[in-house]
Amino acid sequence: MSQLKIAVREDHTQFLPGDEIIAAAYWNLDGPPKSVEARLFWFTRGKGTQDVNVVETFRFDHPLVEEARPVRFRLPEAPYSFSGKLVSLIWALELVVEPGSESARIELTVSPTGEEINLDRPSVSANPP
Amino acid sequence: MKARDNPFCTDRVLRVRFKLPGMHWPQLMSRLAQLNYHAAIVGPHGSGKTTLLEDLEPRLIDCRFQLKRLRLDEDHRCFDRSFLNAFFANLSKRDLILFDGAEQMSRLAWRWFLFRARAAGGLIVTSHLTGLLPTLFECRTTPALLAEILDEVLEEDAQGIRAKAPELFRRHRGNLRDALRECYDICATR
Repeated sequence: MSQLKIAVREDHTQFLPGDEIIAAAYWNLDGPPKSVEARLFWFTRGKGTQDVNVVETFRFDHPLVEEARPVRFRLPEAPYSFSGKLVSLIWALELVVEPGSESARIELTVSPTGEEINLDRPSVSANPP
Repeated sequence: MKARDNPFCTDRVLRVRFKLPGMHWPQLMSRLAQLNYHAAIVGPHGSGKTTLLEDLEPRLIDCRFQLKRLRLDEDHRCFDRSFLNAFFANLSKRDLILFDGAEQMSRLAWRWFLFRARAAGGLIVTSHLTGLLPTLFECRTTPALLAEILDEVLEEDAQGIRAKAPELFRRHRGNLRDALRECYDICATR
């Protein structure tokens, strides 16, 4: 059975907009791959239709059956990771191998505070009485 | 509960596949072949017609068909003429049309569609109504089916949702899609 893994350096999962993500991709496959790609993307999860936007794709040249390779991505300034009751926006890194349907994924948080923005939290007044 | 953690979020519910009651897939495919791949999946709203149509896809590809997909719904009740002209222009017997929501067409439009679709090797539609094509399968829902789906979606039943299956089924008149949406709302208010 094939093994796929993608991990961020020092297991970081919280990032600021514009940060560089330094990750490592590892795969050990049952047969020679046609292609191996790492993708930086965000998607929505919730009650409605799911949106997906692939921000950047890195295709590994001449992939072997078993390898570990570094990959770097630069995060854009937006959108931020957020969650409400109806929809969440989630950033992720994914390693995808063809042929086959196997993939590995890690979820990330991207925001100015490094924390997911909670839409349900009551906002604090800037000018309290 | 955040949307990302809601067990009834769309992507998790869509992972629930059609449960073929009292029949195995080879039997259904055999019946479809007997109908010369011209057949209808019939049933009311939220009874699994679209899911069954989707689950037929890989099996039809195994039968060497090239699939051409069409969809109409209450917001889009007819096709643009130029779109249909392009759609029918290169049809061959290797093509099989999967048409979700065929009941949206008027009788006249349906007859015209059927005439033009004769160039294809197959036509499978979903419809709320019988009579468009011979019925391949009639989708029906039960409280037990809803309970089975809830079991599949829920890892733990913190909201007591499983026990609400008969009530949800009754309130949504057997429309499982709407019942599952209400389950989302119940979890969201947690």
